[in-house]
Formats: sequence, structure tokens, C-alpha cells
Amino acid sequence: MIKRIADTLFRWYCHPEFYPDIKGDLEELYSDHLESGRNAQLKYFFDVALLFRPSLIRPIFKNSFIKDTGMLKNYFKISFRNLIKHKGYTAINVIGVAVGLAAFLLINQYIKFERSYDSLHQDSHTIYRLTTDQIVDGQIGIRDAMSFNPSGKVVTEEIPEVSAFTLTYNIGSVTVKKGESLINEESVKMGDEHFIDFFGHKVLSGDSKSMLKEPNSIVLTHSKARFYFGNGEAVGKTLHLYSGFDQDFKVTGVIEDVPLNTHFKFDFLISISTIQDRLDNEGWRAFNYYTYLRIDEGADIAVLEEKMIPIKNKHLSEESTLFFNLQPIEEIHLNGDMTFEPEPSGSKKSVNFLEIISIFILVIAWVNYINLSTAKAVDRAKEVGLRKVIGAGKKQLRIQFLVEALLINLIGALVALIIALGVSPYFNRLVDTPILDAVWKDGTFLAMLGGFALVGTLISGFYPAIFLSNFKIITVIKGKFRNSKSGIGLRKGLVVLQFATSIVLIACTLIVIQQVDYMRNKDMGMNIDHVVSFRNPRPVDGDFEAMRERVRAFQNTLLKSSYVKGLATTTSVPGGESDEIASTSGGVKIVGLTDRLDATTYIQTVDERYFNLLDIQLLDGRNFQKDLASDSSAVIVNQAFLDRFSLSESNVLNEKIQFGRDPENDKYHIIGVIEDVNRTTLKRSTEPTCYFHGPVLHRSVVKLEPQNIQEGLEHIQETWAEMFPTSTFEYTFIDERFDRLYKEDRRFGSVFSIFSGFALLVAVLGLFGLISFIASQRTKEVGVRKVLGASEAHIVSLFYREFLVLIGVATVIGVPVVFFGMNSWLSNYAYRIDFPWLVILIALMVVVICSLVTVSARVLKVASLNPVNTLKYE
Amino acid sequence: MKKYQLGEFEEIVLLTVGVLYNEAYGVAIKAEIENRLKRKVSVGALQSALRRMEKKGYLDSREGEPTKKRGGKPKRFFTITAYGKEALKHSKDVRTQLWDAIPKVALDLKFT
Repeated sequence: MIKRIADTLFRWYCHPEFYPDIKGDLEELYSDHLESGRNAQLKYFFDVALLFRPSLIRPIFKNSFIKDTGMLKNYFKISFRNLIKHKGYTAINVIGVAVGLAAFLLINQYIKFERSYDSLHQDSHTIYRLTTDQIVDGQIGIRDAMSFNPSGKVVTEEIPEVSAFTLTYNIGSVTVKKGESLINEESVKMGDEHFIDFFGHKVLSGDSKSMLKEPNSIVLTHSKARFYFGNGEAVGKTLHLYSGFDQDFKVTGVIEDVPLNTHFKFDFLISISTIQDRLDNEGWRAFNYYTYLRIDEGADIAVLEEKMIPIKNKHLSEESTLFFNLQPIEEIHLNGDMTFEPEPSGSKKSVNFLEIISIFILVIAWVNYINLSTAKAVDRAKEVGLRKVIGAGKKQLRIQFLVEALLINLIGALVALIIALGVSPYFNRLVDTPILDAVWKDGTFLAMLGGFALVGTLISGFYPAIFLSNFKIITVIKGKFRNSKSGIGLRKGLVVLQFATSIVLIACTLIVIQQVDYMRNKDMGMNIDHVVSFRNPRPVDGDFEAMRERVRAFQNTLLKSSYVKGLATTTSVPGGESDEIASTSGGVKIVGLTDRLDATTYIQTVDERYFNLLDIQLLDGRNFQKDLASDSSAVIVNQAFLDRFSLSESNVLNEKIQFGRDPENDKYHIIGVIEDVNRTTLKRSTEPTCYFHGPVLHRSVVKLEPQNIQEGLEHIQETWAEMFPTSTFEYTFIDERFDRLYKEDRRFGSVFSIFSGFALLVAVLGLFGLISFIASQRTKEVGVRKVLGASEAHIVSLFYREFLVLIGVATVIGVPVVFFGMNSWLSNYAYRIDFPWLVILIALMVVVICSLVTVSARVLKVASLNPVNTLKYE
Repeated sequence: MKKYQLGEFEEIVLLTVGVLYNEAYGVAIKAEIENRLKRKVSVGALQSALRRMEKKGYLDSREGEPTKKRGGKPKRFFTITAYGKEALKHSKDVRTQLWDAIPKVALDLKFT
């Protein structure tokens, strides 16, 4: 095979005269190598590669113009001289192209990364995630990323197109013992024995088939194995895990680190058989698991989903509103409409937006070149005329101008590479993921750079080349040549395009920033300042009562401190991801008042101190009471819950809520209604929630004295270390938790703002170049005007007017784009700002100021020239 | 000196062609050099040297019979031309002269 490729290659480039005998030599050597040992083919290939020498290759470009190397040299020489002669012009062009290219390629690296999610798994296009949709009357309600634990197995058995499955569970964080210290591992997941081979994780040590079979087995990633066991063999050793387990786990395998671009990241993978009891218990009653299926290529997904309906009917029930759904694994990351994702997803819209920006930036840079080089035509017109007189054809002239464009683009590409190298660490920090490492080693990056430099040459060089080579000799030489009307129209059009793009980008950036700010500062219906949250230690061996006692003792100690203003416990802390709260999809009704509503209701259990601690207002009724036995069947609902029944105005106190279908199910009486509070990101509207009462729950929220936050934290830490020596104390402030939810949006905002800055820079550069040439062309006109009595101010205003008109046109084009684009982006958010018209004004101001400053810088110089000098030669 | 341009590798190839006399074709030359000088020679380097010297007129070549082992391709045998011989001789003379010109003491002096 290698030999055949080499042969073809060789025949292609070898000089035909030499081919037969050299080929003979090669064949002879090949057969010798074949007899004597291995790698004959490779040696053959190397020989062929080394035969690629100037003295042996076929004469290239036999009939092409490039054969005329004298002329070619001349093109380059003249181009170089031209570029060096007009240093300012060259610099503007090169910087424009370089910034444009660098920005374009960097954004594209980011886009490529975002789009590459989950494409590294083995045959990733055949992997689907089994998710659960709630469909009521043909309307899709909540879409849930999780599935029932037996469903993967059943579907694989009953549907022939499904060839394999794997069942996983997201534990979250676990405390691990390392030597004498405790480490909090934040990315722990569970998987069944198919997991490793299903996704094709590369196993460094251990047997992929059996490593997740036995209960209490654990698979580590390479870096974690090194962290815990150094360079020695990790397999066979044990790790002690707390957090609800408190037992030794046997390390059964080490796999390569999980890549960054997957939605299913983990450092620790525990065999799911460890919780087999729980799986069996839950069965078809709860869907808390992620199931992945491998589906035969070419299978029709819609048909498969149909086939899953009978399965659902059999195992759930005919009436159940839960349906199975298949989601391609590669689409998970950029598809944000599911709840209970293992990690916050990206946004397809944002990525598409960025792609458009990147293209715009590049186009602006190219437009600059077109603009400048046609504007400079007057300077070059005489040269073109003279060349034509001497006998240059159009073709040669065009090549001349294309070579100039090529040089600018190549130098630009080089500068772009330098920029990319310099910027990449900042870029990584900006997007918070090490996407770029050493771009000069990245083959595709370099290829793209080179490719776009060439494409840019053609695109940006083509029009000027045609335009400049078409000058008529007579007019040019006679000196009557000014600028053609069409040229001016085109240039103005291009400038309008640049302005419009700048306005759009600036406005969009400001809107994104405003929206993020709005979400971070919006009143969420509670006071989360100085509130720190942490997970209470998990009970050992399921002894909840003992743990409760210890937590109570812990709380009492804390409350004695003057640094602590108050504390409460809850099942979910505000500012969590979508999967940090319990929910039920089995339907809910208020007995006697409403029909059953098939929709997801969220369930949070809190103690009696929770609402007061976070200043959550009770709109009606009362709070839970600590020692009231009847409160175990009491429920407090939020406004959103009632809104869904259209009951927000009525009195629902003491009415009874019942979940599920069975009329025998427990009923809970409503004792209070609270105002809506946002538990999670403001992208989602408030979750309709029922709050139940529990004495001591597994998460704590502690309000600290604002003046003594540090001391308060230390106090908690010390107390913790004293009372819970086998758990790590991992705390977060609730406002930080909310900030973390908006990480993706903030990242988008900062990427957006930086690159619109780039776009503006490129546009301003172009404007500067353009105004320079226009000004220098109009020096005589300015001189005449001055002689006739025009003031400097008047002359400057003449130039201003021209550009203000262009900006006006650009605004007319840009505003609708911003309006429709950003309204569609804002519609992703349940809580959004109104379309801020002020922003358009600001964007406009920025563009106007930038361009007026640019224009003034040049025009003032021209306007202040003494007419005696400018009109001397007329 | 400018009269005969002959690089070090070219000289070796030229000499080897002489050594092999009538049997000097690509593979044989390569094997011979590798054997005698204990250095690796790539087909590319050798062929380009051969063609270069043929162009300069130091070498002459004729086509041999095609064989099966060579994939039905003929051998190309090289022979030194009179001009080539002169070049070799010139290069040797230059060296001899230089050797002779070295003062004895420069070579015998030992540094301890």
C-alpha cells in the first residue's frame, strides 16, 4: 500500500527521462530489503521522498507564466518597493489583515472546540442518550436528560437496532482519604461494566470488560492515579471514600484523562453495582440515571422512538405522560433545553453568533484592503499607464497587483500568527478552558492561516487588480484621470458595510453585558448576601438519627458565635444547577379545587428557619413550626405553583395537595404561600415548587455577620474539623454559586466584547487609510476653497458631513439586524431585559466619535496647509 | 581550480564508478560506497549526483537490459569520460600538492 502510494508519487514528480532506470534501482533495492528484513515498504518510501530533488524532478510549469522567472522576480521586486515606499499604507493593510485573521482563527478555534463536544468517543455518531420527555396532549413539557435505570437494558433487548447500552449515575462530589488528609473530589460518576468499552476510553491498566463489574470498584483517570499513587501501579490498591460510603474501594483500572470536550466528565468512576440495592428498589419509579445507547447506523430515530412507546406502556403505564426520547450524544452540549444535565450546556445560538462575528471581522479586513488599494488607484494610475505604453498586457498588470496583495496577506498571516501566539494564554483564560496550546504546533491552525491568507489574496486582490489594470492609457497619461464614479460608489458602500458591522457588534456586546448584569443583580426574592452554604456530612451506614444529632450539636456551637447571624438546613441550596433539586413528574392536583395537572413539580425540603434566614416573604399563611407534629404533612407552595393552576388570587390555605394518580396517595395541606424566588439561573422561569418540612437536612446555609466574614468562616471551619474529622469542609457563598451559573454567559459576553473591539479597530484603521487618501486627493480643492475664503472649520465640516451620511446609512442597515438578532437571543432567557434602545444610541456614538476623531486627525492637517504650497504647481 | 568542479561526494561517486568499471549502475554504486566507506547513501543523493555529473560531462551512460527483479526496467550503466578522468586527476593533484606543502613539523608535532 505504502509502496503503491510512493510509486504514484514518484512517477508524478520524477523527470521522465530518468524515471525508468531510477525506478529499476528502487525495485531492486526493494526486493533486497524484502529478503533481508522488515520495513521494506517504509524504506522504499523514504528513498522516494529523498529523491525529490531539483535535479531529478520533472520540469515544472513548462508552459506557464511562472516559468518566466525574470518577470516573476520583477513582480516581487516592484511589489516590495511599493510596499516599502508607502510604509503607512502597508502598515495599515498588514495590521488590518493580521488582526482580522488572528481574530477569525481564534474564534474559530473556540467554535471548533464547542462543536467538537462528544465527537471523540468511539463511533460517536451512533451513540444516543435515552432521555425522558413529558408529553401532555401532544405538547412537550419538561424534557429531562435522565432516564429510568432498567430502561437501557430493556430497550436494548427489545429493539434490534439498539446494539448496546450503558447506565451511569452522577454522584457529584465525594470526600476521599489521602494519607492523613481529606480531599474533595468534585467530579465523580458511576458507570456499569459496559461503560469503558462503550465509549472507547483508552485503558492504561486493568481489564476494560471487568473493571466496573464488582461492587466497590473504582476506575481512576491517569492524572488522579498519579495524584493518589504517584508513579506506582494504582490497580489493586484501595481508596477510602467517605460521603455516604465510608468504605474502601478497590482500584480496578486506570484510563486516560477524559477530554475537555465531553459533557460527561469525570475523574473517578465507581461501579454502579455498588448501589445495586438502590437500583433494584427504584426500578421504574424514578429516573435519575443517564443511559446511553448505541444504535445501528442508518436506523430511523423517529421509528425507534415509536417502537419505544409500547415499552413505556408496559413498564410505566398506558396513562403515563413520560415518553422515551433519543438524543444524539454530539448534540447534547449545544442543546440547552433539557433539565438535569450533568453540566451546564453551551448555547448553539451563541456559537453561531460568534461564527458570524468572525466572518464579519475577516470580511472587514479584506474590505479594508480593497478600499485602500482602489483609493490609491490615482497614485498608481500613471504607473499603470506607463507600463501599458511600454507594452504590459492586462494579465501582467493584474499579476503585479495580485502579487502585492499576496505579499500583504502573507506578511499579515505572519503577524497574525505572532498575535495568536501572544494572545492564546489570555484567550484560554477568557474562555476558561485551555483550548489553545501552542498554535504553531497545531497543523490545522497553520493550514487555516495559510489557506485564508491565500483566499484573502484572491478575494481582496481580485477587484483592485481588475480595476487598476483597466485604466485607459490616454486618459491616464494625459493626467486627466481622477477617480471613476463607480469606484467611489463601491468604496462608500464598503465603508457603510464596515460601519454597520461595527454598530451591530458594539450594540450586541452591550446588550449581552447588560443581560448578564441584569441576571446577576436582579432581585431574586431573597437576600443571599453573606450566606455561605455547604453540605453536611453524610450519615455513616444510613444512621440518619445519629448524624442529625451531631449536626444539631454543630449548629448549636456555631450559633453561640457572634460571627454567625443565623443558620438553616435545606435539601437544595439556591444557585444550583438544574439537577440540584428533586422533582416529580407524576402529576399533581389540589383536591377538590383542580384537576390533575401532568407537569413537573419541584420539591424542596427545608427546616423552619430557612425562609427567615434568606428573607423570603410569606404572602399568605404561616411558616413551618418546629415542634408541630402536623407539619410533617404540611406544605408551603410558591406563587409559580399556584400560577400554573391559575389560582394565584384565590385562597388556598388548608386545601390539600395530592401527587400522582392513585386517590389513596398521601395528601398534604397547604399552610402557606411564599413569593417566587429564583433557585437556579434566570434563564429559566421560577420552578413551581412545593416546600416540605424536615428537621435537619443535608445542606446548611449560614448567614455571617457582614463585618466578620473571614472570622466567621474560620470559626465554622474549626468547629467542623473538630466535630467531623472524616469530612472535608467545602463551602461556597450563594452569590458565587449564582455567578457560576452565568459563567457561560459571561464568557460569551467577554469573547463577544473583545472581538467587537477588534472589529472596530480594523474598521477604524480602514477608515484612517481611506480618509488619508481622500484628503490628499483633495488638497488642491481645499487650497482653492481657502483662497476663496473658507475657514478651516468649514473645510473640516465638509469632510465630516460626508462621513456622517455614511454612518447614517449604516445605522439604517444595522439597527434592524441588532433588533431582530438580539431579540431572538434574549428570548432564551425567562428573565430578560427589554430591548435597550439606549444601547443603539451608545453604539452609534462610539462609532461616530471614533470616525470623527480618525477623520479629524487627517483632515485638520490638510485644512491647515498653506494654499501657497498646495496650489504652487497649478 | 575553478576549472573542474567536483564536490567531495561527487568525487567518491566518480571514483566508485571507476572502481566498478563496466558494472557501475545505481544499486551497485550505492552498495559499493556503503561497503567501502561505511556510510549510508540515499538513492536520491546518489542519483542526483550521477545526473549532475553526467550533465557536467564527467560521466557517460548507456542503457542495459531490463530484468524481472527490476520490475521490467533497464539498468543504466555509467562510465567515466576522459573529461571526468581529468577532473579526478586534477583533484588528486591538488591534494597531493597540498599534502606536500604542509611543513613536516605541523603534522608530527604532538601536544601532550
